Amino acid sequence: MELSVRFRTFRSRVLTFVLGLLVLVQASVFLAVTTAQERNARLHIDETLELTAAAFETELDVRERILLDKARLLSGDFAFKEACATGEHGTLLSAVENHRDRADASVMMVVSMDGDVQADTLHPDQYGTPFAHPAFLDAAMDDDRGEATSIEFIDGEPHQLVVTPLFTPDPTAWIVIGFPVDDALAEELRRSTGTEISLMRMVGDGWQPFATTLDRELRDDLARRFSLDLGEAHKSIPVELDGREYVTWIAPAESVGRVQVATVLQRSLDDALAPTFRVRNILVGIFGAGLIFSILGGALLASRVTRPVAILARGAERVAEGDYTEPVEIEQRDELGVLADSFNRMTKGLAERDRVRNLLGKVVSPAVAEELLRKEIELGGEERVVSVLFSDVRNFTSLSERAAPHDLVRLLNTYLTRVSAIVEEHGGVVDKFIGDAVMAIFGAPLGHADDALRAVHTAMEMYEALDDINTDLGLSGDTRIGIGVGVSTGVVVAGNMGSLNRLNYTVIGDSVNVASRLEGVTKRYRVGVVVGQSTANACPGIAFRELDRVRVKGRDESLTIYEPLGEQASLAPELAAECRRWEEALESFRARDWDGADVLLDGLTEAYPDTYLYALYRERIAHLRAEPPPPDWDGTITYDEK
Amino acid sequence: MRRAQALLSGMGFLISLAAPVGVEAGSLSASVADNGGDAVKDAVVFATPLAGKASGRTKSTVIDQVDKEYVPHVTAVRTGTQVSFPNRDQIRHHVYSFSDVKTFEIPLYKGTPSSPVLFDRPGVVTLGCNIHDWMKAYVFVTETPYFAVTGAGGKANLAGVPSGEYRVEVWHPRMKGEPKATAQQVSVGGAAAPVSFEIKQKRVWRPRRGPRGAGGDY
Repeated sequence: MELSVRFRTFRSRVLTFVLGLLVLVQASVFLAVTTAQERNARLHIDETLELTAAAFETELDVRERILLDKARLLSGDFAFKEACATGEHGTLLSAVENHRDRADASVMMVVSMDGDVQADTLHPDQYGTPFAHPAFLDAAMDDDRGEATSIEFIDGEPHQLVVTPLFTPDPTAWIVIGFPVDDALAEELRRSTGTEISLMRMVGDGWQPFATTLDRELRDDLARRFSLDLGEAHKSIPVELDGREYVTWIAPAESVGRVQVATVLQRSLDDALAPTFRVRNILVGIFGAGLIFSILGGALLASRVTRPVAILARGAERVAEGDYTEPVEIEQRDELGVLADSFNRMTKGLAERDRVRNLLGKVVSPAVAEELLRKEIELGGEERVVSVLFSDVRNFTSLSERAAPHDLVRLLNTYLTRVSAIVEEHGGVVDKFIGDAVMAIFGAPLGHADDALRAVHTAMEMYEALDDINTDLGLSGDTRIGIGVGVSTGVVVAGNMGSLNRLNYTVIGDSVNVASRLEGVTKRYRVGVVVGQSTANACPGIAFRELDRVRVKGRDESLTIYEPLGEQASLAPELAAECRRWEEALESFRARDWDGADVLLDGLTEAYPDTYLYALYRERIAHLRAEPPPPDWDGTITYDEK
Repeated sequence: MRRAQALLSGMGFLISLAAPVGVEAGSLSASVADNGGDAVKDAVVFATPLAGKASGRTKSTVIDQVDKEYVPHVTAVRTGTQVSFPNRDQIRHHVYSFSDVKTFEIPLYKGTPSSPVLFDRPGVVTLGCNIHDWMKAYVFVTETPYFAVTGAGGKANLAGVPSGEYRVEVWHPRMKGEPKATAQQVSVGGAAAPVSFEIKQKRVWRPRRGPRGAGGDY
């Protein structure tokens, strides 16, 4: 399953991982330790309470024995026996009061064997009335020694009562002595057991603590919550008092008289857990420190990676923008340092290649340079249909004679720069400069479907650019330069020619020669651009004017040559009409209808005196009238010189 | 709290009486048992003639103190009997009685007190020792001279009882109720048929006697 959370940065990923690991480990430790501690603490409380309960019962037993011993000692006092024997209430009362004080008791009574009170320190005036706790006496009567103890409430106050017979020497009365059962007693027991102690009794429907170590609020809370479920007796149960949890142990005391008493032992869980909280705090501290160190360490670690990566990224951007000058600088000697070194070497290599490519692009055309760089360089070529364009500056020779060499170079460079730009704009490739001449190829090394059209457009644009070039060069009048452009389309061989050490990417074939020848014939017709038949055929959208049929040097076959006039669609109607008249004239000329042709040409010459073509043909007709052509004449003219 | 589990229900005493065989001076034998059928020791069986006055047997008697016990435990005497309390132990004793019939005290002494104690009213006198809580003895003072104390077998033999009709009663320190309730009319003379009585015993707690040792050998 893929993680749905995406981290935007390596740093956040590292931090998340480190922190996640830390939190996982620490949380596990925390959980394990605190759980174990709490379990131990609870176990410890349970054990302690159990032990305390046992100790508490022993404590109560011991206390009972001590109280009984006191009672026994008092009852064994001979003078007391004598006083009892007098049967005088006053004497008896005063004797029990005396003995009560001796024993530090809260109450002392003498009860007859029949159960009638004979003296009672709490109620000095009452005697002869039945003892209020007969069940207590019954318990004594059931005992081997005639003794019993019980917690009894006299006038609502709790007393631990002990009873023993008065032997004179037969048992003649019950001596009942009571000791206070109060908070002070509970406190005393707490000091010896370290446990909260509450003695509860049933009052009405509920239980009330009558002797407890709890403060008032807890005491009220306990009264509200306590219920004696015998299933819970002698077992640790949690009881919440005033928001704090107390582990509670309930020992139901047997009820001797009418009163049911339960002993409740409690220990605060919070107190028992105090060491746990300390450990917990230490763990939290360790966790916090670990967190801080992990964040710092993680951030540091991440920055050791991200900083050099950022530097490398910036370096890569610079390289992408073509800036190879500034190497990336990373101090680290780790893998990233190695990467930075490699990056710098790569940058150096790229810079080298770019420089070579720039230079190559200047020496050869950018497209050719690209082609050379793309492929393994090998000699040889492939056959392709291309359109070859040749241009030449008219009168360059005379210009070079007039101008200073320095100016000539400037002129030439300006011209060639402009012309090259036009070629490249139309997707052509400048094959070479031959002095002022330019040879350009359309269709190699990269071909387009409309290479011929591109070549024609280029040629026309070059010719039209002449005005700008002349203006730029500050030439006017006779000093103006003119150009001739020839375009030819056909199959050539394109490839690297020369030797492996020095070669040119170029094209070789008939079209190259033809284009060169066509460039040469432009001056004969005084037109800027001349294209061959195949080129004109490949450009149906262009309006051409057929110039002639020629047989050029080095070629037996005759060529029909054309002058491009512009886009067929936007051709001016007048020019179109002129072209039709010219075609008629040309037709008459080729049909040897010299008169008809002359008439037409006269009209054209009159209408367009600047078009040299018409004058040329009139002259040619005049010449043919004088020297009639052979019968196989088809209007083709042969040019023996370039 | 101490649970008293020991339950001692009251016991009945069975007193058997046999009519005296002799005409002038017969005897009367009796046996006393509790309601469990066990013989009761230290029960006083006494016979009161229904007619005429009885006479004789007003001599003195002795209750010893031996090894911090009264010997015998139960003594029956006729009213007017002098009882002396010789102390056979090497330590002092302090004889006392808070009984209404005879309240007296012989403070700590050794040997035999100079004057015996006269028991001149009928009833039960319980004797104690002030310094030994467990020491206890009973003197049953009766107006008739015909009485005897049962032995370990629960039997008593009243000798020298003239023929005639008698009201025979029994008393025991732990007996429930008054002797009157046990009264049986018995003819003494002729064939003496032993007559038995069954009485109930009440619960009595005794102060404990510690292990013999300190002071015990005096």
